[in-house]
Formats: sequence, structure tokens, C-alpha cells
Amino acid sequence: MKPATIAADALEREIGVVGREIAARLPNAAAHPIRAIDERIMQATTRDRELRAALFRLVDVTPACRSLDDLARHLAGFAAEVEDRPKPLDAAMRAARSKAGRVTLGAAVAGGVRHMAHRFIAGESPARATAELAHLWDAGIGSSVDLLGEATVTSDEADRYLARCLEALEVLAAATADYAAHPLLDRDPGGRLARANLSVKVSALTPLIRPEHPRSGVDDAVRRMRPLLRAARQLGAHLHIDTESVDTRETTTELLFELLGEPEFQAGPSIGIVVQAYLRDSAAELERLLDRVDGAGRAQPLGVRLVKGAYWDHEVVEAGQQGWSPPVFEEKTECDRNFELLSRSLLDRVHRDPGSVRVAIGSHNLRSVAHAVAYSRLAGADPPALEVQVLRGLGDDLARALADSGLRTRVYCPVGDLVAGMAYLVRRLLENTANSSFLSEQADGTPLEQLLAPP
Amino acid sequence: MSEPRASRPRAPFRNESPLELRRSANRESLAGALAELDASLPIAVPTLIGGERRHSADFGSTDPGNPECLVATAAEASEHEVDVAVTLAAAAGRDWSRRTAEQRAGALIAAAEILRRRRLELAALEVRECAKPWPEADADVCEAIDFLEYYAREAIRLETGPALGQAAGEHNSLRYVARGVVAVISPWNFPLAIPAGMVAAGLAAGNAVVLKPAEQSPATALALIEALREGGVPIEALSLLPGHGEVGAALVRHPQVQLIAFTGSGAVGIEIVREAADTQDRQLHLKRVIAELGGKNCIIVDSDADLDEAVPGIVRSAFSYAGQKCSAAARVLAHEQVYETLARRLAGAVELLRVGQASELDTDVPPLIDAEAQDRVLGHIERAASSGQVLAEASTPAGPGWFCPPTLVGDLDPTSPLLHEEVFGPLLAIEPVASIEDACAAVEALPFGLTAGLFSRNPETIDEVARRLPVGNLYVNRQTTGAIVGRQPFGGNRLSGSGSKAGGPDYLAQFMEPRVITENTTRHGLVVE
Repeated sequence: MKPATIAADALEREIGVVGREIAARLPNAAAHPIRAIDERIMQATTRDRELRAALFRLVDVTPACRSLDDLARHLAGFAAEVEDRPKPLDAAMRAARSKAGRVTLGAAVAGGVRHMAHRFIAGESPARATAELAHLWDAGIGSSVDLLGEATVTSDEADRYLARCLEALEVLAAATADYAAHPLLDRDPGGRLARANLSVKVSALTPLIRPEHPRSGVDDAVRRMRPLLRAARQLGAHLHIDTESVDTRETTTELLFELLGEPEFQAGPSIGIVVQAYLRDSAAELERLLDRVDGAGRAQPLGVRLVKGAYWDHEVVEAGQQGWSPPVFEEKTECDRNFELLSRSLLDRVHRDPGSVRVAIGSHNLRSVAHAVAYSRLAGADPPALEVQVLRGLGDDLARALADSGLRTRVYCPVGDLVAGMAYLVRRLLENTANSSFLSEQADGTPLEQLLAPP
Repeated sequence: MSEPRASRPRAPFRNESPLELRRSANRESLAGALAELDASLPIAVPTLIGGERRHSADFGSTDPGNPECLVATAAEASEHEVDVAVTLAAAAGRDWSRRTAEQRAGALIAAAEILRRRRLELAALEVRECAKPWPEADADVCEAIDFLEYYAREAIRLETGPALGQAAGEHNSLRYVARGVVAVISPWNFPLAIPAGMVAAGLAAGNAVVLKPAEQSPATALALIEALREGGVPIEALSLLPGHGEVGAALVRHPQVQLIAFTGSGAVGIEIVREAADTQDRQLHLKRVIAELGGKNCIIVDSDADLDEAVPGIVRSAFSYAGQKCSAAARVLAHEQVYETLARRLAGAVELLRVGQASELDTDVPPLIDAEAQDRVLGHIERAASSGQVLAEASTPAGPGWFCPPTLVGDLDPTSPLLHEEVFGPLLAIEPVASIEDACAAVEALPFGLTAGLFSRNPETIDEVARRLPVGNLYVNRQTTGAIVGRQPFGGNRLSGSGSKAGGPDYLAQFMEPRVITENTTRHGLVVE
């Protein structure tokens, strides 16, 4: 299968076919009245920066509020900073003037946050999430669990996160063992696929991330990663190392290859990493990554999840304050184009050598997904040699549509305390309700042709 | 490093960017720069008075991480040299002040460009002479460049005085003119940036400057003077007098010194104010003192604070450069609802701090500046252990160097001097408070007013604390150190200083005196303007 044989116009035609196929399976708002209300709230916040800021600051502080009264006072404080207040917010501010009003208002906010949390968080613990994960599996959708928690600033906290990860692996392995066979989810061209799938964050495994000295973090995290890898190997589970901001990137990459190079882990477990398409140097970074995979000579292919990246604001702000050139593309179209370029590089590799790499397209952008699927199909892979990953709470409808279209689909499922966990998810929400998001465009009724147009 | 840019006084001010050390390619050049510097040590620092250059090895500076290593040998300026330098400056200042602001700015901006070219070398020098860890050494060089660029532009801005009321038949104007001779007495903890700021302000305003740098960092001061002279500041208008306290005292006493710019300890600052108040024979003016002194800086943590951010923010505030910053945090006032959790998490974070050599990029806490500092701070830590409870103490490396363990203490007796006096070392105290009101009262009770921190997510609380605290710089939901020229003008109130902010729009005018010219524009009743 040679990449050169795929002509640009043929690819565009196929993207249209795939995109319409998936879009046809997306439900419309009328079928889900409650979800439609949530979407309306999300849409309102995407249009108004101040309103969005107020909402996210509120969700962010909710777990730290010591009473409903305290929560209501925070709401009033944030609302006061919104200039163009919608009527309900004005009403809330009036209510916050009396003690009784604050209690009612605080209870409404707490209820609202929990309601939102149920949408985004699969369960308060891995054990409590298993029913939800089984439900997904029955719909033909795999999962990857992400344990939400406070930042790691001490060794004890890193040890506790490790213990939670080990427990999650046990619970997930046991819970997924008796799932009904599902050939698409159980195997791909690279071999057997793990059902138990855990995403971990290096910044949670070590308090010693030092951007200017990645060794500190690598040396501290590697001793917690080893027991995790051993457990995953023994349980046949997949471990995916999430990528965070540029400050942690070198630590993450060096940690991965240190582990991949250890003889003990030559045979397993299945491991994955993330490439962020919004990074200007991601193409070069991917090339280095693929070279190093060849050198590692492992039995299991390396999973590569391609995402846009969820730390855009952080990267731009940090670079701006330091006077550095931003490490990310600042134009959405540049980023989208790069996403497609990286998709093709990865797929070329998978088509040529499925034993070395696995590709996951982590995106809610219909065009990006359709592009990867179309490219793989035209290269002769059937089903396409990739998996599509979406976020729980944001990509649920898309996940079902993808699975119904015969695509290998996985949902990234945050697990943890509903209220505190919601605060940790704020950053991701912030990113995904940004104006340029596909989901908000889709919700706005942008025509399909436009959504599928080349970036 | 940032791209080179032209030195144009009329171009807008822009902060110098720190090295992006999270990229491995940028880290690779550091070791080489240090090796190159090491090969050139010790640096001989002479007295520089006009064209005169007198070398002598009267005292030296050593590497705080390896006291056997001599970084510089320096000449100790004599009382006679102080007099010669000031007399020369008084004459030279007249010519310098006659240049346009743009010409003076041009010299400062050219000097900034020289510092920019020597950035790595100068940072390496700070690593050795003052045990500044690389990222902070680099930041100090950037700040020095910023001061030169910023005050250069401020001089141009102030050249046009403010508009005055006018009436027919008269013309009123206000212009700022140089004061004369400025004596700068600078500390070692920001060995390039702080002298650069005070010297550049003096020069930009049209004064002649005599610098007496800290005896711990003569070589870094020499680099600054060389850059300014090479950039075009007349040699007579800028002299360097290395030495100890007596040199500074002689400068302060000198009748021809009009203004003293001092950054350092409170005790010395108060002594300078007292001495400067005394007028002497031949003295034709009242001396002005611009003083930046110490603090006992508090960070308030409210019950709604994001502790994930508060913990690293507090640790950086208290322990970066081993707490040897006037802005460093010394007390945490934590709302009782979060006290236990915060104390536990902070303790865990403090235990992880890596104490080591400034040249190592994994070092969080470098050695203290000298043996005297080590003795003093270790003594404070001992007293803290006996009057309170040590909650965490990081380990220190064996071997040479004035190391001191970063320490977190709790349960200190409220009357303990450790809660009220500046320690200037890696010692942090944490106390519970019943309310933010109580926390504010505790800060107000201190004689200082330099920096404070607040971690809170309630806009009303932030507003109220900002209204109440008597500090010069309040930092909300971030660390309390690392002020940036033009963005966070810096300086304290109360016994922490004279209040006018370095790197801000009020600073430069202090180095000038306003003069108002009123001209009668009528001739025998006829308006001739």
C-alpha cells in the first residue's frame, strides 16, 4: 500500500462520503430534549467570553466552597463581572442578597454542577464506572479510563495516584473479562487489543516535573511506572500516557522510551502516547518518535493518539508572558491542516508496518475524523486501520454514530469525585467550547459541506 | 534567545525574554559558558574613577557553592578615592545633563545591547559569584537589560514636562532637571539588575553616578560599568568604587552627593537616612534618599483557594534563591478550614526541594551567599525548632558550600521574633487564621509593607484585601517574587522603603528636580509672544 497512490481529489471525494455517512447517524436535538437544554447552555457560553469565564470559575471553585451560602456568594461575585448579564444571572444576583436566597441559589448551583458532572464523569470510582463502561461496550464502543484528582505536589500524592491506577487496572481487567466478543474492538491489524485501557498522567505520577531538567521527573516517575507496567502486562491491559503541556513534554517522552528500552517490558504491556497536532514542531516530533519506536524493537505496537491538544490557552499565555514564540499554531486552519498531515504520516506507517504503531484519532472534528478514515480506506484497509477516540460528555453522540458506521471507537472516560472532578475538567471544557470548536459549529447549524471542507 | 533588534530610543519598550530552558537545545550552551568563565577567573576588579583604574587585591568574592574558588579580587576604594570620584562626577554631570534625553537614552540602549550580547557570560558569572541558579541568573540579566531600556524611554517621556496653566502675557513651563551626583549602593542578591536599575535611572535623568556595589559581587558590578561606558556614558560621569560598608558610608557623608539610591537591609537603610539628614560644610542641598529595604512578606490563603496552585506558588515564593529576595514570602496565613491540608501538602513539597549547586539545573535551593548568612539563618532555624514545630526540612548536600536546609515551621509562639523580623533565608512559617479579616490584621501589625500574596477565588475577597493591605506589591493567585519591569513596578511602603516603584512610571522623576520657568511675554504692556 503506497501513500503516493492516493490522489487528492479522490481523497476529498471519499472524505465527503465518509463524513455524510457519519453525519447521517448523528441524532438530532429533538430526540434528546434534556441534552438539547445542556447544549443550549454550552452554546450560550461559547458566544460570550465573560459568561463562559464566570461559569468556569464557578465550577472551578465549587469543591472549595464551605457552604451553599459561600457558593452563592462566589456566584454573585463572578456574575458581577459579567457586563452583559442574561436575565437568569441578574435574578441570581438579586437572590444572593438574602441569606435564604443564597441557600436556594447555592443548592441550585451545586445541583447544576452535579448534573453537568454526570454527563462528563463516568463514575466516582472505577468500580462505580464499570456499568457505564459495559453499557458502552454493548453499543460497540471501547473505553479508556482517566482518573481525576488533585495536582501532585508531594511524594505521598504521587504514591496515592499510583495506588489508584493499580486498583483501576485490577477493576477494569476483572470487569472487562466477560464482555461479549467484539471482533472490531478485540483485534486490529497490529494484533489483540486490550479491553482494559487506562490513561495516566506523568504530572500525577511525580511531583518533580522540572521543565528545565526533565531528568528529575523521569527518574522519579519511572519507579512508579514500573509497577504499573508490570500490572498492566500481567492483566493484559493497555496503558496510555497522556501528554500535557509543553512544560512536561520532554519528561513524558523520555520516560516512555526509558521504559520501552527496559528488557523487562520488551514483550508487554501495550503502551501508548499522545501527539498534539497544535504544536508547531509536532511533525518533526512524530518523526523522531517513529524512529525511536523502530529502535525499541518491542513485541507490541506503540499506540499513538493524535489529538489537537487541550492546553492551547495555557501555551499561548505562558509564551506571551515570557516573550517566547508560541509553541502552538495560532490559526485553527493551520492546526487542522497539520492534524491531517500527521494523520497521513501515522496511517502510512500503520499500513506499511502494523506491528510497530497503532493509530487513534482523538477528535470531535467531523472533517478530521472523516479524513483519516477516508485515507485509510483508500489505502485498502477495511475496516480502516485506526481507532477514533472521543471525550465522554462531549462526543457521546459522535461515538455512537462512529460505532454505527463500523468504525473502531473508544470513549475517554474521566472517573473521580463528581464535584472535585468537574473542577479538574474545566480546562478541557474551556477548550472544547471555544468558538472554533466543531461541536459548537455543528450545533449552530453550519451546513455539512462547510464542516467537511478542507481546512 | 530573542532575536536581535535595533537600539532605537523611540521604539516602544519591550521586555527581554528569558531563555526558554524547557527546550534542550537552549540548555546545551550553559555548561560551555560556565567553563569559559571558569577559565578566566579570578576577575580583577579595580576602582574606576574617570580614566583612572587602580588594581589591588584587597578583598575577593568566592563561589558560595565552593568557597575555595576565588571569583574576583577587588580593590577597596579609599576615602580619598570617594572624594575624587564625587568631585569628578560633580563636574562631569554638568556636561552629561546638557545632552538631550534622547542622546542619554541612546547610550543606555547601546549598553543594553552589550549586556544582551554577553547574556550567557553574565548569567554564568552570577551563577559563580552569587550562586544564582541558571534560570534566575538569566532572569537577572534580562531585568538589567529591561531597566536600561525602560529608563532610557522614561527620560525621553519626561523631557516634555507636564502642561501648566497659562494666562495672556506670561508663559509657564515645567522641566525636570538632573540633581547632580547620585551615589548608588547596591546589594548582591540581584547583582546585575538592581545596580543596573539604580545606576540607569541616575544616568537617564542626567546625573553623574558613583556606584558602590556589594562586596560579595564586585565582578558582576564591573561588567555593568564596562557595558555602560562602552555604550557611550562618559567615563567621568560613571565611577566604580568597590569596597565594604565604609566606602558606602563615605559616599553618603560626602557633601557633593545629592541623592543616595540604596537597596539593602533595613538597619543600613535607616542609618543612611539619618546620616543623609545631616548637612555639612560645602553642602548646598538637602540629600534625598531612595531606599528599598526588607520585608516580612505574608501570603494569605483563603478557604476557597486552589491549593493545587497555592502550594507550588508558596514554595517558589519562599524558597527560590534560598529565600534571599526582599520579595520572598516568610509567613503563610492560612484560613483554619484549609490550614491542616495546606500545612501537610506544603510540608511534602518542602521535603522534595533539592538543595544543590547553582550550576545544576535540578537545583531548587542554592547555597546562601556567605558564611555569615549561613550562621545567621541556621541560628534562626534552631530558634524556630525550639519555639515552634518543624513541619518539614529538606536535606542538604555534603561537601563545600554555604548550604542551609529549606524549612517549614508551624505553631510558633505569636511573640516569636521569627514572625516579625526578616530572616532572608529559606525559612517559612505557617499559621492558621480564623478569617481573612484576622489575616489582614496580622499583616497590618507588621512594620513592613513590601509584598504580600493572596490565594482566593472570591472577587469580593480579592478586592477587600487589595484595599486593606499596606504593601507595595500584592500578588493574587501567584507567586510573590519575580516582578517584571514595566509590568509589575516594584517597591515597598512603611519600613520597607520609600515607596516609589522601580521599573514603573513614578521612579525616574525621583532622580530629577522640577524647575518652573515663568516668562513675562509682554513688553511695556504689549504682548510679544
